[in-house]
Amino acid sequence: MRITNLKKKMGDFTLDIKDLTIKEGAIHGFIGGNGCGKTTLAKLIMGIIEADSGHMDMAHLTNLQMTMTSQRPYLMHTSVYENIIYPLKIRKLPIDQGQVDQLLQCCGLLEKKNQYARSLSSGERQKVSLIRALIFNPKLVIIDETFSNMDMDSVQLFEEMILKIQQEEPITWIMISHQLAHIYKMCDYIHFFAKGHLLDSGTTEDIFLKSKNEIIRRYMETQMIEKRGSI
Amino acid sequence: MIEIVAAMERFFMNIGAMDAIKVTLIMAISSTSISAVVGITFGLLLERHNFMGKRIIIRINRTLMGVPPVVIGLLVYLLLMRRGPLGSLSLLFTIQGMILAQTLIITPIISGMVYTHASRSAPSIRQFAKTMGASKWQTNVLMIKEMKHELYFAIVAGFGRSISEVGAVMLVGGNIKGSTRTMTTAISLLKSQGIFTEGVTLGLLLLLMAFILQWMADYFQREDTTDENY
Repeated sequence: MRITNLKKKMGDFTLDIKDLTIKEGAIHGFIGGNGCGKTTLAKLIMGIIEADSGHMDMAHLTNLQMTMTSQRPYLMHTSVYENIIYPLKIRKLPIDQGQVDQLLQCCGLLEKKNQYARSLSSGERQKVSLIRALIFNPKLVIIDETFSNMDMDSVQLFEEMILKIQQEEPITWIMISHQLAHIYKMCDYIHFFAKGHLLDSGTTEDIFLKSKNEIIRRYMETQMIEKRGSI
Repeated sequence: MIEIVAAMERFFMNIGAMDAIKVTLIMAISSTSISAVVGITFGLLLERHNFMGKRIIIRINRTLMGVPPVVIGLLVYLLLMRRGPLGSLSLLFTIQGMILAQTLIITPIISGMVYTHASRSAPSIRQFAKTMGASKWQTNVLMIKEMKHELYFAIVAGFGRSISEVGAVMLVGGNIKGSTRTMTTAISLLKSQGIFTEGVTLGLLLLLMAFILQWMADYFQREDTTDENY
């Protein structure tokens, strides 16, 4: 997947990406300060908003093969179960009740299967949105701060789930997060954004440990003060 | 028991209440149905598209939401009178003419309520649909499903306005017994004749209809939100 000369103006903010390559089958991390354009780029990739100019080569990926979850996921006005099977329904794929139950069981949500989805806590809502994103075996998943309200056990569970998928049948992931420990642990490649521009791209070690860019180094230092122990 | 039923029957027959109830229901259901289709479509389209003059259209719609029904009644009367532009249709003092007036009163209410709610919730529904890979048709179906309560409330509000309206139906319908007399125009006539008991009974029936509609709205709302666990 390659993005070239992409521009999107939104009010005073302009996203301007000269060249960004997303390698297939790898986990990518989008990091940077607030308002640097990470989520805007994710929405452009998903086709939620349209670019003013530029080119996105989606490597034959269609809308039906990709999905995105957000920090405050949208849950439909129906049960947890109906929310989870929604992507299967619109793709007319068979519903494997056993798989749904197993995923719900893993996340501790099986007893809430028939509960009104919007009555769940924010962490539980994020779990439902992640299960819903993974249920139809997508080729590209964008996770935008979706782990932010989850307890550590659940984050670990989903991390293991993602790594298992990568071992068995690798897909492309884009993770947007300020939790650098999580990004460092999970991602193969990092793309650092600042003020609407892509400052640097590289392997996780290159960006986290060897970057010469002053802005990136300063960002890492301030963000990792409390997380250094875990890294 | 039989005597009570017979007394009730006498009461309704004497004042032509059954006809008034029938006319009210035909008029309210027909005008609300037409307004629901037009108003919901218009409200959703208005939210979906940006164009020059959209703000003015929204303001006009909001103004029409509060326009006195008697003004609409007068306009429809002028349109339908023998020498009016639509006089040849002979709709004045008919139930069809009343439905036309009611539709003009209710449609802005439904479209305004739908637009207001859609402008708050439709963008997030559309974004969600996009992340799920839904087609345009599937997105539209989802939109209707997700906003079903608000659409229902808009329709109930329109129906409530329809059954409670007097001015426009009096002007356009003429309050003809057995033909264009509605419950509200019957109440108005009974009051002018000093027959208060029957008037109050019809009023209570109107209240009962409004209560049933509201109860249904609450019931559907509860069906969706059972087992809440905050």
